[in-house]
Amino acid sequence: MASSIEVRDVWKQYIIRHNRSDALKTKFLGLFHERYRERREAFWALKGVSLTVEQGEAVGLMGPNGSGKSTLLYLIARTLYPTRGEIVVRGRVAPMIEIGLGFHPELTGEENVYLNASLYGLTREEIDEIYPRIVEFSELEGFIDAPIKNYSTGMQARLGFSIAVHLDPDILLIDEVLAVGDERFQEKCLERMMEFRRQGKTILFVSHSVEAVKKLCDRACLLAHGEVIAVGDVARVLEAYRGSIAV
Amino acid sequence: MVAGGGERTLWQYRELLKNLVLKDLKLKYGGSWLGFVWSLLNPLILIVVYSIAFKYILRIQLENFTLFLITGILPWIFFSTAVMASTTAILSNGNLVKKIHFPREILPLSTVLFNLIQFLFALIVFFPALIFLGAPLRGAVAAYPLVLLLHFAFTVGIALLLSAVTVFYQDVRHLTEVGLLALFWVTPIIYHLSMVPERVRWLFQLNPLTAYISAYQDVIYWGRWPAGETWGLALLWAGLSLALGSWVFRRYHPSFAEEL
Repeated sequence: MASSIEVRDVWKQYIIRHNRSDALKTKFLGLFHERYRERREAFWALKGVSLTVEQGEAVGLMGPNGSGKSTLLYLIARTLYPTRGEIVVRGRVAPMIEIGLGFHPELTGEENVYLNASLYGLTREEIDEIYPRIVEFSELEGFIDAPIKNYSTGMQARLGFSIAVHLDPDILLIDEVLAVGDERFQEKCLERMMEFRRQGKTILFVSHSVEAVKKLCDRACLLAHGEVIAVGDVARVLEAYRGSIAV
Repeated sequence: MVAGGGERTLWQYRELLKNLVLKDLKLKYGGSWLGFVWSLLNPLILIVVYSIAFKYILRIQLENFTLFLITGILPWIFFSTAVMASTTAILSNGNLVKKIHFPREILPLSTVLFNLIQFLFALIVFFPALIFLGAPLRGAVAAYPLVLLLHFAFTVGIALLLSAVTVFYQDVRHLTEVGLLALFWVTPIIYHLSMVPERVRWLFQLNPLTAYISAYQDVIYWGRWPAGETWGLALLWAGLSLALGSWVFRRYHPSFAEEL
């Protein structure tokens, strides 16, 4: 079976722009005065990362802040592009990087569901089909025709999460989103993830929560300073993780 | 269940395009007709003020000046508002561009479409005025949708170009604003091209908007089919603008997420 995600020797460089100027004036002055000149510094966020995620696998991506987890996630979500190396993704990806992203406060819940789902490339017919299930799962039946600005943060998160899990992706990219809603809803979300797993979908799960990774993932991958430190069995990687944050 | 499948094309994202345009319309008009009336205030005031200034004060030698003015100024308002709005089409959606993969072209495209729809609304509302002012509505009117299509294509090209460039150079917004102000006066909207001294007329003819505005005037004001030369220029500018706009956009969109 072909793997869902193949990351092959990926390097990602950011240019840090000290004294950054997007103004033409400062660019012009910079030609004459050192003081106005922008200083550029290269920073390697990922240094030769390779990772393969098989179809139906759930892999936990761990690592301290600034280790390159998010960069890797964005690269797989294809909003960033690698400086070097190659990434192959087979199947439709649903990034759950920020819940409620793209919601517009003045639009109603229903309008936001349609707008949001179409951001992920769904057609009208496809959204019509999943709409009732999205509303049911979010438990917002009574509020769906109200503008979303009147929702509480928790309600918005529920709607966002509900959309994401009903996109029926082949690959789910999750960035610490289980931390939304109350305990009961979190439980429901985790349950839904498990169901995803039973359906043979691929999950890449970024988390600091050792418990959540243990519960959900088959394998784990530990990143530090843009490099893969350990990959494989969850227990073994978690041990390495504890070691890495202790230092 | 929803169909799977990897890469989705621009066509498959048509629902997104539609929803973005609808969002803009809903936000602007809020479902009320009052919002719509406000949006007509801008063209109305321009028409009244320019009519007074040019017809009664400067006494421009153009028969039926108000008709002439309306013919050119409505498409101009479409062009200038669409172009101005396109400068922030990507910038103001930074968070989306950073976190979700979708064809970025949709953003400037939806901006232009939203303004096109407002233009069409305005056309419908001003249509009785055109009749009242004695527009010679003959067979040539059939050319109007064609002129509009080419003008739209030209505007899309400029919007692609500016939406991409402003991500890297935000000053382009201000340059665009000033540029549009100047462009208005070198485009034959409140005067006829034949009034421009012959020596420099070729310069005015190099202005892409001259081709489109002249074509609109041919159809509505003069009641004639635009000349082959006008069509040629309109087609040429639309093609060049689309080619340049999409080339720049394709070249730079992979770095959008990093710059925003």
